[in-house]
Amino acid sequence: MSIITRKRSGKKQRAPLSQRTWSIGFLTLAVVIYIFYTYIVPHTPDGFQSQIQIWFPPSALNEALVWVIAALGLNIVVGYAGLLDLGFVAFWAIGGYTAGWFMSGFFNQWNIHFGSESAKVIPGIHLSFWLVLLIGALICAFFGILIGAPTLRLKSDYLAIVTLGFGEIIPQIFVNGENIHGFNLSNGTKGISPVDSIGLLGKRLGPFDLNYKYMIFVFMAALMVFISLRLRSGRLGRAWLAIREDELAASMMGVPLMKTKLAAYAVGAISGGLAGVAYATHVNGIFAERFQFSISIILLAMVVLGGMGNVWGVMVGALLIAWVNSTGLPALGDEINSTFNTNINFPSYTFLIFGALLILMMLFRREGILPESRLKLMLHESDADEGNETPHDQISEEGAM
Amino acid sequence: MTKLTRVVSVVAAASMVATAFVAAAVPSQAAATKTLIIATDVPLQGSSFDSNDSTNKAIALYLKSIGGKIGKYSITLKYYDDATATAGAWDAGKCSQNAQSHVANKAEIAVIGTYNSGCAKIEVPILNQDPKGPMLMVSQANTNPGLTKSWNPGEPDVYYPTGVRNYARVCTTDDNQGSAAAQFAKSIGVKSVYVLNDTQTYGQGVAQAFTTEAKKDGLTVLSSGPAGQGWDATQSDYTALFQKIAPLNPDMVYFGGIYDNNGGQLLKDKVAVLGDNTKVKLMAPDGFTGYPQFNSDPNAAGAYLSFAGLSNELLVKNSPKGAGAKFLALYKKTYKKDPVGSYPIYGVAALQVILAAIAKSDGTRKGVTEAVFSGTGVTIPAVQSVLGKPLHISTLTGDTTAKDITIEQVVGGQETTLKAWTVK
Repeated sequence: MSIITRKRSGKKQRAPLSQRTWSIGFLTLAVVIYIFYTYIVPHTPDGFQSQIQIWFPPSALNEALVWVIAALGLNIVVGYAGLLDLGFVAFWAIGGYTAGWFMSGFFNQWNIHFGSESAKVIPGIHLSFWLVLLIGALICAFFGILIGAPTLRLKSDYLAIVTLGFGEIIPQIFVNGENIHGFNLSNGTKGISPVDSIGLLGKRLGPFDLNYKYMIFVFMAALMVFISLRLRSGRLGRAWLAIREDELAASMMGVPLMKTKLAAYAVGAISGGLAGVAYATHVNGIFAERFQFSISIILLAMVVLGGMGNVWGVMVGALLIAWVNSTGLPALGDEINSTFNTNINFPSYTFLIFGALLILMMLFRREGILPESRLKLMLHESDADEGNETPHDQISEEGAM
Repeated sequence: MTKLTRVVSVVAAASMVATAFVAAAVPSQAAATKTLIIATDVPLQGSSFDSNDSTNKAIALYLKSIGGKIGKYSITLKYYDDATATAGAWDAGKCSQNAQSHVANKAEIAVIGTYNSGCAKIEVPILNQDPKGPMLMVSQANTNPGLTKSWNPGEPDVYYPTGVRNYARVCTTDDNQGSAAAQFAKSIGVKSVYVLNDTQTYGQGVAQAFTTEAKKDGLTVLSSGPAGQGWDATQSDYTALFQKIAPLNPDMVYFGGIYDNNGGQLLKDKVAVLGDNTKVKLMAPDGFTGYPQFNSDPNAAGAYLSFAGLSNELLVKNSPKGAGAKFLALYKKTYKKDPVGSYPIYGVAALQVILAAIAKSDGTRKGVTEAVFSGTGVTIPAVQSVLGKPLHISTLTGDTTAKDITIEQVVGGQETTLKAWTVK
């Protein structure tokens, strides 16, 4: 309860400033990385360039951004509303298949072209990437509400099990969706590839226009951050936080549980859908077997490790884990193996390392790398009372409300 | 307090990045003027690790045995892993990333790989659009027909956006394996077959080819659908499935798929309902080969298997003094054990194709690709070829002209080579 009293006394001016600092930092970093890859790297010596390819390949960066977009969505469900979701991969899959359906020659029985830069002669449904983003977001929002609906009366563990089921069912539908009474929905395990390239201002992005894709993905991530922050400081966000902290108390205070929870699922699902569409264009295809339970777990690890409820923390967590998973650990492993002349298969220890890291985090820094002030305060309530010191963080974020 | 932690975390993150950049700034070994890199691109995590690790070892050993040189170029290898721990197998994102890296690394000339056809379907279009290319990829293990010939709608043209071919393979395709199996079935007097598939890309591919060829050869195909009846790998019991088949009285049942997809249970129920493999014959593709567990299962006794290529055993038997036999002996001497499965030797064959293409070319990516797909193309004479017979890559499709299939039979808990089958 001390939280509320402190909030009132906070210096309100600091809040938007802090929020703005982070946003400016994000933008600056995004621009610096863009300039670095587009203008600096091509003029560096070959040795340096190949090192960049080993440690920080631009396509790994783009993929990490896709993870960021999805993790930001999960953050709304888990971090804000406190609803444990173990099946987030389902939204990613649905988003991916939306791109597969509406941006490829897969449905070659039809020939629909709209706003797409692809050649008009190719049969299939070819819609503009931007339109497909919207469709993917809408379809996922619908499924978000669908999964949200039966879980309304459930709490914690039971809720997690329902989401887990959902996350298993949806990919299974895509794996087995090759022949639904003669209709080919998903092409089974063969997947749908290739997917149309993104059209940007009349230009078709080729496979090597990674810098444009990077900009688009950064924009999408920024959009999710914006949505997250605005929602959080609004009525809905406060309702989410109230549910997270005490569902019963929240409903007593007049928070409509049903509407609020559904909204969390829907908004979270939207970003899962966006990530799915982005991912399909990133890898130029969509494959049912990829959407495994482990993806949901990794996403959850990103949120927890980064700092539940804090968008910047989640972003850092997502970038870090995505990098470790795709590039960091194998590259580091090769480096160690060649230096010490050993032959250890480092990537096979990924989950061991993640597990150890998570345990360490839970022991020493439960609130994540960049914690959300509120959560931190709750976890360290006893420390704070002893110190009797108001953390700056707390004021800055609460003040925004 | 919090400010401090935040600062510390930012500094920590920054120093990590800085360290990485410092590490990156250390120039790699100065490249000699004529050094070219050949990349291998296979999954090095998950169940296929052993086989692919052997492939990398075999390729490195072969390169060493020829002095690491071809013509005026010295060759080094670079290993890519297209799997991630999250996926536990090949990962579409990693494949895409690897393809980008192949193109970006200027010294790389060509790629050996991939192991999985799905991964190749992502990488080939990217390498195809390489501004300095197209860049050549030669696979030792992709058996999906769609990569090189008409299969599903749009294939194979969707994988070659520039309209020029840049992908070749040294193994035969699933359709050949399925056809060979059907031809073999006819040759042993089978009149009617019932085809099953595991609903996956590979399984459906072979099952479809088997069905098509069986119909063409005048066999009665009792299953409906182009690839027969699917079996669900997650099901715990297939008694009902086989009870449905039993009244049809097939001479043979074909398992189009891989053993990992609950093949053990399928086999058990087949024998329980339809009888052993002498009563109703059983045939399966190479997705059932290389499993000691399958071979030692008493229910598998007498089952026929096919393999897309020549088994190591057959290779040595066919030409005991040939390059392949010699190389297998060298491998055993160096690493103290045999390579896992038959794909490592095909990896070496892929390397031979790339080396021959480099020798014929001007040392550029475009030149190397053109060496394979124009003029007379690339041929490895029988004396050199580790496959023990001349290896020619079709300049039109990139497929190998050697359509070898090995027919095996499970006898006494062992896969024994029955005969080599050349697809008509």
